[in-house]
Amino acid sequence: MNTRINIGPVHPSTHGVLRLVADIDGDTVLNVEPHIGFLHRGVEKLVENRMYMQSPTYMEKLDYAAPMSYDELYVATVEKAMGVEIKERAQWVRVVLLELQRIASHLLWLGTTANDLGQFFTLFMWTMKDRDIILRLLERASGARMFYMNMRIGGLVQDLPPGFGESAQEVLDYLEKRVKKYEAYLERNPVFVGRTRGVGILNREDAISLGVTGPVLRASGVDYDTRKYNAYYVYGKLSFRPQTRSEGDVFARYKVRMLEMGESIRLVREALDRMPDGDAVGMPVRLITPGAKNREARASRETPRGEGIMYMIADPQKPYRLAIRSPTFVNLAALQHIAKDCRMADVFAILGSLDIVMGDADK
Amino acid sequence: MKTERKELLDSLRGLYSKGYTYLVKIYAIDYVKTLNAIYVVRNLEEMKEEALEVELDPADAWVPSVMRIYKAADWYEREMQEMFAIVIRDRDAERLLLEKWNGTAAPLRKNFAWSEPYEKMG
Repeated sequence: MNTRINIGPVHPSTHGVLRLVADIDGDTVLNVEPHIGFLHRGVEKLVENRMYMQSPTYMEKLDYAAPMSYDELYVATVEKAMGVEIKERAQWVRVVLLELQRIASHLLWLGTTANDLGQFFTLFMWTMKDRDIILRLLERASGARMFYMNMRIGGLVQDLPPGFGESAQEVLDYLEKRVKKYEAYLERNPVFVGRTRGVGILNREDAISLGVTGPVLRASGVDYDTRKYNAYYVYGKLSFRPQTRSEGDVFARYKVRMLEMGESIRLVREALDRMPDGDAVGMPVRLITPGAKNREARASRETPRGEGIMYMIADPQKPYRLAIRSPTFVNLAALQHIAKDCRMADVFAILGSLDIVMGDADK
Repeated sequence: MKTERKELLDSLRGLYSKGYTYLVKIYAIDYVKTLNAIYVVRNLEEMKEEALEVELDPADAWVPSVMRIYKAADWYEREMQEMFAIVIRDRDAERLLLEKWNGTAAPLRKNFAWSEPYEKMG
């Protein structure tokens, strides 16, 4: 007999205001349909009615678990529209900040997902504590704690404070040990392994046809990372390898993110070592206006959740149109396909492995 | 790359057969005189991207569904229908995606009365 059950919109495992309607037969899921839009704020419309530098504050609230990535994506789009060169040092600093942001976001994901998978609050407390150390670093670099914003057209709002490099190296040494500890803790845990290995398999063909992105795509064996194939800033000069797995299950998605944290730690170290001196501060706000009318610009960035892209039609004063391709939106759309025919309890394992942020999906 | 509405499906099928199997995004731009729907597809082997642009008459805005070619088009099409009132033909007309309007309002079109109270928006 089929039963329809409703999960959310307020539920601890949906990571925000997401409503799932699941049709189940016994314990087998026949169909699960995500209902989104509870956090829809119409950011694309709001942006059309504001000056260029009034909008980053909306962008960072799209993905509130990785505000700096979106902030940077928007600023990069405006830079493309204006044809501005980014200062050399600013490019290195941006890479450092973005990779620190990626580690912080993955740590938050790890804690919440492990919580869903029966590890309860131990790991969550550990990862939140570690994430806080990174947030403190980002706070020093930007002056804000929750929505740390340090991107401005052509460079940064402010250069890194004195002693940032040394503190960051200490933090990275600490995090490297911690990430290894988490891996050892989880991968020897029969509950975690049992609930992730072979669960929610998404094969390569389906991953491409469903258009998933980021770690979800790479866990299905597609070697696509914007940092590598569409390299921006100084990623081309750094020794960076995209992390992929071929299994396509929940465990593979977990493993890709863990490996990415290690890769980010290496990237930040290398960038801090090789960072040139010089000026990194961007242009004054009053100068920000892309001269021509209807100028098209596009920027694509590897945010922690996947490839975020912004398409902008720029007018002299305001954006005429800004279309945002948000990674959570495409990954969440694939849930219906992945969760078909799995067990009811696995829906949350799969949902957790997609790393969703509802602000990002709803826009 | 500009294309006509009646050639859209054939053009996309052609691109698909050339290896453009990954749909990146479907979005629309309201130029007031025309309403443009844009389909961005990517070839993951050669790392190339193509964008197909279809010009539509705002008074008669519809496009055929491309879901039979790209499964990923599902949510993008629903979002476009909701935000631009571009009707998607040849697919099951499911509920809208985000705001659940009654289907006549088009929040991202330029003539949208966004300072009106919610009840009057449509």
